Amino acid sequence: MGSPVGAQAQQAGLNIVVLDPAHGGTDPGARGTGGIRESEIVLDFVIQVRRALELQGFQVVQTRQGNENPSFDDRSATANAQRGAVFVTLHISSTGLPGTARVYVNSDLPPVADSNGLIPWDRAQAPFLGLSRTFGDLVQGYLTQRFKGSPDATQTASVRQLRTTAAPAIAVEISSVTVEDRADLDRMAPGVADAIARGAAAFKPSYVVPNTRGALP
Amino acid sequence: MTPRWKFWLIGGLVIAVLAAAIYFPILRRRVKRAAKLQQQSEEQARRELTQPIAINPGDPRVKTKLFWASDTIESTLVPVTVELPLSNDPVLRSKQVLNTLLAGPVDAELRTLPPDALLLAFYLLPDGTAIADFSEALATSIPSGIVSEQLAVNSITRTLEANVPQVQRLKILIHGQEVETLAGHLDLAEAFVVNTKPAQPPVKPAPAQSSTDKPATPASDKATAPAPGPLTADKPPGKLAQPEHKP
Repeated sequence: MGSPVGAQAQQAGLNIVVLDPAHGGTDPGARGTGGIRESEIVLDFVIQVRRALELQGFQVVQTRQGNENPSFDDRSATANAQRGAVFVTLHISSTGLPGTARVYVNSDLPPVADSNGLIPWDRAQAPFLGLSRTFGDLVQGYLTQRFKGSPDATQTASVRQLRTTAAPAIAVEISSVTVEDRADLDRMAPGVADAIARGAAAFKPSYVVPNTRGALP
Repeated sequence: MTPRWKFWLIGGLVIAVLAAAIYFPILRRRVKRAAKLQQQSEEQARRELTQPIAINPGDPRVKTKLFWASDTIESTLVPVTVELPLSNDPVLRSKQVLNTLLAGPVDAELRTLPPDALLLAFYLLPDGTAIADFSEALATSIPSGIVSEQLAVNSITRTLEANVPQVQRLKILIHGQEVETLAGHLDLAEAFVVNTKPAQPPVKPAPAQSSTDKPATPASDKATAPAPGPLTADKPPGKLAQPEHKP
C-alpha cells in the first residue's frame, strides 16, 4: 500500500552531501613553488571528507572523480539534481596564513521572484543564502577549533561556483599551496574532513527539505 | 669574349656577391623586426598607445584613500591616505585613483593587484554603473584563490567608493571581454556594489595643504607620481549591454 499523496508532500531531511573538488583537467588551480597543484590536493582531501561523511550516515556525490574539469554549471547541475543535499566546494589558496581554513558563502544576490515557483539558474543560490550561512558557520566553528588562526565566522565572497547551486552551499578554502612541504597540507586533511562531517551532522536537524523537487526552501 | 671583358665581368660579379653578403644580414634583421612587430598582440598595441593621463596642475590636491593589503592582519585591507591632484570629472578621477592603486604601495608585499596589470578603459553610465576594463594581466598574474581574488576586487571597489561617489556599481572586464571569473574563483558576471548611497555631486576638493600637513603614509611618495593611464573614450562601447544591478 503506497503512502498517501499528503504524506509524500511531507518534508524530507538532509541526507546527501555533494563534494566538489575544484579545478582539474587543464586547470590546475593554484600552484605552489614545490610543484603542488590545487586540483590534485583537493581530490585527495575529498577522499577523506567522503569517508568522514559516510561515517555520519550521509550519502556522498562527487562532481568529479578524477582529473577532469567539469564546468561550473555542470558541477552545479550535479548538486541541483539531488534532493535534500548540501554542497561543499573544496579549494586550496595561493595566499593566506598557512595552516588555516576559511569557509565562504556567496555574496547577496538579487531576490528571486516567486511568481511561478521556479528558481532562475543564474541566481539559484539566492533562496538558500541564509541556510548556507548557518551551515557555513557550523563548519567554520569546527575548523577554527582545529586550525588556530582561522576566522571565527563564515566569510562572504562572490564565489562563482556557489551562485548557480540550488542548495545550502559553502566553499572551504585551505591555506595554502605556498607551504614548503606538501605533507603540511596533507596533515590538515583529517581535520578538514572531520569539521565538514560534524558541520553537516549539526546542520541536518535545521534543514527541512521540501519533498517537491525544485521548490524553494 | 676577350680576357679583359671576362676580367670585368667576374670582378663585377664578385663585387655584387660581396655587397649582397654585407646587405643580406641587415635585410634579415629588418625582416625579423618587422615580423616581430606584426606578432604583437592587440593588447600590446593598446599598451603602446596608452598614454599617462595628463595630471592637470590646476587640479586641486585632495586627500585620497587607497585600499591596499594590511601588513598586520592577514588578508584584510587598510586605507592609506595620500594627497593627489584629482579631477572633478568622475571618469578622469576614477582613472587617476585606479592607476595609483595599480601603481601599488611602496611595500610591494602589500599590493592587491598584479604589478603588470593596466587599466585599459573606464566608462561611467548615467545610472552610476561604471565599467572598468583591465588588461589580461589582472586575471593571469593574480594569485589564484578566493582570498586573493576577493581582496583584489575589494581594493578596487573600496577605493572607488571612497573617492568617486558617482560610481554606484562596478562591472569588471578583462581586455574588453566579459569573463566568468577573475582567476577561477571570483564571479565577474555581475556588477559589484560600490556605493549604496545616491550619487552625489562632484566632491569638493579639500583646500591645498602645506607639505607639513601631508600625511606621512608609506605610499605617499610613489602614489603622487603621475600614474600610467589609458586613452579612453568618454562614452561606453555600443556593444555593451547595461549590466544588471545588484541590490
